[in-house]
Amino acid sequence: MKQVSPPLLQLQGISKSFGPLLALKDVNLTIQHREIHGLLGGNGAGKTTLMNVLFGLYKPNAGQVILRGQTIHIQSPRDAIHHGIGMVHQHFLQVPHFTVVQNIVLGSRLHNRPTLNLTRATERIQDLCQRFGLEADPNAHIIDLPMGVRQRVEILKALYRGVDVLILDEPTTNLTPQEVDSLFESLQRMVAEGMSVVFITHKLREVMQVCDTISVLRAGEHQLTLPRTQVSEELIVRTMVGSDIDLDESILFAATAPQESSSSRTGPPVLDVQGLTLTAESNTPQVDDVSLQVHAGEIVGIAGVAGNGQQELLEAVLGIRTADRGQIRFQNEELGHCSTRDRLRRGIAYVPEDRVQDGILPTATIAQNSILGVHDRPPYSQHGILKWPIITQHAQHLIAEYHIQTQGAGQQAGNLSGGNLQRLILARALAQPIQLLILHNPTSGLDIPTVEQIYRQIRQRRQEGLAVLLVSDDLDELMLLSDRIAVLYRGALVGHLQQKDFDKYEIGRMMSGVYNHV
Amino acid sequence: MQNSQFVQFASLVMLAIVPYILASQGTMLAGQTGLFIVSQEGVMLVGASVGFLGAFLSGSLLIGLLLAALSGAIAGLALAYFTTTLKLDQFVIGLAIFFLGLGLSNLFFKLVVGVTLQPPIIPTLKAVPIPLLSQIPILGPILFRQNLMVYFSILLSLFLIYFLYYTSWGLSLRAVGENPKAADSVGVPVARSRYITAIVAGMLMALAGAYLPMVYTGSYTDGIVNGRGWLAIALTFLGGWSPHLIFVGSLFFAGVEILALRAQVLGVGLPYQFLRMIPYLATIFVMLLTYKRLRTPAFLGLNYDRESRTSI
Amino acid sequence: MSEQSVVLRRQGLGSVFQALVPYIVAVIASFAAAGIVLAVMGFNVPRAYATILFTSFRTPNGIIQTLIKFVPLVLQALAFTIPLAAGKFNIGGEGQLIAGAIGATTVGIMLAGWPAPLLLPLVLLGGIVMGALWILLPAWLLYRFSINEILTTVLMNFVAFELIDYVATNIWPDPVAGHPTTIPIGAGGFLPRLIQQPPLHAGLLIAIFIAILVYFYTDHTSAGYELVATGANARASRVYGINVRNIFFLSLLLGGAIAGLSGAIEVAGVHHRLIAGIQSNFLLLGLIIGLIAKGNHLAVPFVAFFIAVLEVGASAMQRTLMIPGEMVFIVEAFILLFVLLSDVVRRR
Repeated sequence: MKQVSPPLLQLQGISKSFGPLLALKDVNLTIQHREIHGLLGGNGAGKTTLMNVLFGLYKPNAGQVILRGQTIHIQSPRDAIHHGIGMVHQHFLQVPHFTVVQNIVLGSRLHNRPTLNLTRATERIQDLCQRFGLEADPNAHIIDLPMGVRQRVEILKALYRGVDVLILDEPTTNLTPQEVDSLFESLQRMVAEGMSVVFITHKLREVMQVCDTISVLRAGEHQLTLPRTQVSEELIVRTMVGSDIDLDESILFAATAPQESSSSRTGPPVLDVQGLTLTAESNTPQVDDVSLQVHAGEIVGIAGVAGNGQQELLEAVLGIRTADRGQIRFQNEELGHCSTRDRLRRGIAYVPEDRVQDGILPTATIAQNSILGVHDRPPYSQHGILKWPIITQHAQHLIAEYHIQTQGAGQQAGNLSGGNLQRLILARALAQPIQLLILHNPTSGLDIPTVEQIYRQIRQRRQEGLAVLLVSDDLDELMLLSDRIAVLYRGALVGHLQQKDFDKYEIGRMMSGVYNHV
Repeated sequence: MQNSQFVQFASLVMLAIVPYILASQGTMLAGQTGLFIVSQEGVMLVGASVGFLGAFLSGSLLIGLLLAALSGAIAGLALAYFTTTLKLDQFVIGLAIFFLGLGLSNLFFKLVVGVTLQPPIIPTLKAVPIPLLSQIPILGPILFRQNLMVYFSILLSLFLIYFLYYTSWGLSLRAVGENPKAADSVGVPVARSRYITAIVAGMLMALAGAYLPMVYTGSYTDGIVNGRGWLAIALTFLGGWSPHLIFVGSLFFAGVEILALRAQVLGVGLPYQFLRMIPYLATIFVMLLTYKRLRTPAFLGLNYDRESRTSI
Repeated sequence: MSEQSVVLRRQGLGSVFQALVPYIVAVIASFAAAGIVLAVMGFNVPRAYATILFTSFRTPNGIIQTLIKFVPLVLQALAFTIPLAAGKFNIGGEGQLIAGAIGATTVGIMLAGWPAPLLLPLVLLGGIVMGALWILLPAWLLYRFSINEILTTVLMNFVAFELIDYVATNIWPDPVAGHPTTIPIGAGGFLPRLIQQPPLHAGLLIAIFIAILVYFYTDHTSAGYELVATGANARASRVYGINVRNIFFLSLLLGGAIAGLSGAIEVAGVHHRLIAGIQSNFLLLGLIIGLIAKGNHLAVPFVAFFIAVLEVGASAMQRTLMIPGEMVFIVEAFILLFVLLSDVVRRR
């Protein structure tokens, strides 16, 4: 018998619950030496939870971690780092007001603690940058850096500590397709140097492109682990969604491109934005001369790397921010200095990106939340007096119609899960007679069935003649739903594509500003 | 003559900066790890009461100061436990400890001293001139002919500047207040950092309070702190949570306090009540001037829960 | 339908009881903790507690003392909890009380000869207006420059302490009083008495009326909804069309006005003049009441009454047993801490 060396890392029987919610059920996972291991699953499948357990951020209720054949105990990220495990979180864990090098050395063992001389650290970081093809200026402040560079800093942070296993949680979220390719090159260099990489994603194509081994989680349970050469896309999709979804009906996994909408774009647009400009305090425009039309029965998508003025544009359209220049017309009427309340009253509904911060009142009940924005209109209030019985009925109706899982309208909204929260926000928006629906990243972080449900709702409303403005960081989502896509780069619209011309790399070029439009 | 008046004024200011520096640097230090303390007024009162009683009973100002520091450490520990371990709202817990401090300080005094017609008196802190340096004209008497607490406050400020900005411990502490999850993910002990700064902050605040009966009258009254705890919070905000500016700001606060006192003595035509309003109104006015430049640690006032599943 | 409402009502009663449990536990725990301290110091604990809890109910005088104390306490608590509902902190209630008292006194002295039907409303109005004016600067700084209201409201208290001293010693001093005090206001400005002996003034009715009005406003009007929504999440409220800066401003002004009214009632109902120290420790007790009630406007009057009972008991205990009254204040702070701790228990 040949002596078989133990695998690099084994997770055995890991379970984790959050209150009543069982997030991981007896999960086993093995990471081999020198491999890129894709950890695939819809949102809420437990991928991130599993890796947070491995990294010491969550305490598991059961299970053990075995490194090179030896059981190790990880109580905190400090222990994980000590054992050579590094993690790049989806939401970068950086101090924006520190420099790159300060962020990287933070918490690491410095030989010169009392003097904080960072010259040697800076040299080592520059060396790492070169070795793995990760370009970043060590002395820049994080706050000034674009998302792509911030992610490299996050990877450098792990490499600086000398990791054997690098966990990347949804690393491609904020990257253009070109940046994704370059990230994958860096990962391959790491494996060539003897490291292993765990790559968490919900995007099938990415794992098929770069991973050596693929594992799938669903609803907190491990489904399969196979070498890439032995799996087909279809097998993986079926494993990811299970029996919850009829794949033939699915929008998310549709094999063919959707039919172009039947709407003939005649007549005046529902929303007509002309030359909208919004200047920040630092005098660089956050929204730069944007012109845009959305017609009834059409979904207009806006692509762009996060932080290129998406939120500012939408908030200007809604009157939450005041534009410096430009015109916004809604159904042929100049909105001018209309307040947000007026705009909502005229038939605009908004589903903000940040559900918890911008979308709900966490400490208020679902009933109270169900009338946010319409609380001063009949039938919910009359002559300034709230009609609680009607409001409660309204909330119960939304709960039933949109399958919001809760014990009742009197429950605190803050206790809802992300998916139920989004259903509530969407339900509230669609419950009123509206002509324009504005959505910002409507499905980020949601599980597959919820995403399907939301896509179905949006499509159906489009069919019924609603105008939809869809802003998303997820290019796949935009290409799936939109009739047209405009690309936002540094606050300006740098390109416009019709559905037949959609091309990922073309849009990616525009997103990174290398596209010269006429 | 003019010169000696200035020296006299400036050395009085140096005498008056101590409570502002100690309480504000304490507030700032805890703030660097994200703890927003609002109990200053109460902790200072406890410090004043315990410090006074300790000195009165033992006959030693040092023992009074040490006991006061101990009482402040307990207050800081309680604050850290309720906010960091139990994750209760920092502001509400801060108020609760402020209430307790208010009650306890007077309770201690009444229990020990009882109701007397002649209030007990303790000796005041003596000036300790530093050899050679105190001989320098003008600067000598202002800076180097002061009591030990004045030297301590100045050295403390210098130390905090060095510690927070020129050591890796300082870098770690500041990271906790800016983004505790980031700090935690690279192994910086978030809870321990907060406990330590809360305890040190409590000690400094209590010392700030204990200083008051020891420097002016040698007696204790329940109005002895007179809003200085709240002014210290304002000073910390105005100093942008940085030890350098807090030091500069405390010169201003103490200067206003002494000016208002001098104006009362000299009589400038205004009723003394209006002169005594000046420190508070001046503070509000300075807040108005500096509101745009103020930066606070990003996580100030927020508790950190490692297993919280909402992203930050 | 009727079945359902019965179920709902039963749930309602059950949930009221459930909500009360932590309060009861907190009160018992606080008294137990303080009892140990008192016993160690050699005081007679059962007698002390009997005095604290039952003084209010033993004699007519006790009941009336409690009701008189209740008036400023409930108003101070509301002056804190109304802005609190919008997520803002008014820690300047005593400054506004003093300003209100000064306003009421000014009207009452300058128009001393006026008849009661004219003078009394003007005295009260003087208090309301001055209270609102006293918070105007902090409210405006918050509205215009987003300057934190906590500090500015607190600092205005210290300004008010000096102002009342000035008015009582320089403008209308009462030369025979040994303490800064003004001459009395016109008799037309006195609040009528509900009971003559021992005297109980009609401010009680005003306080109860205000408490009911505030509850109705915050829980049953769309304007109140905006207040609560802003407090729950100001960003989301702004996104959905609520002008949150207006709400902040108005909530503070309303709080200041109510605190000012409490000052006017102290002048018109209790002292009939301005006295330095008129604010007593009503602000701190008001904050404790508001925090124990967790800002619930249905609960505030009941908590205020309970604290009034403790306060009346505290003075009696200090008089008869020589136990410092601060002990009761510490018990109250402990009750607050234990009520907060009950949240931790519930979380698990």
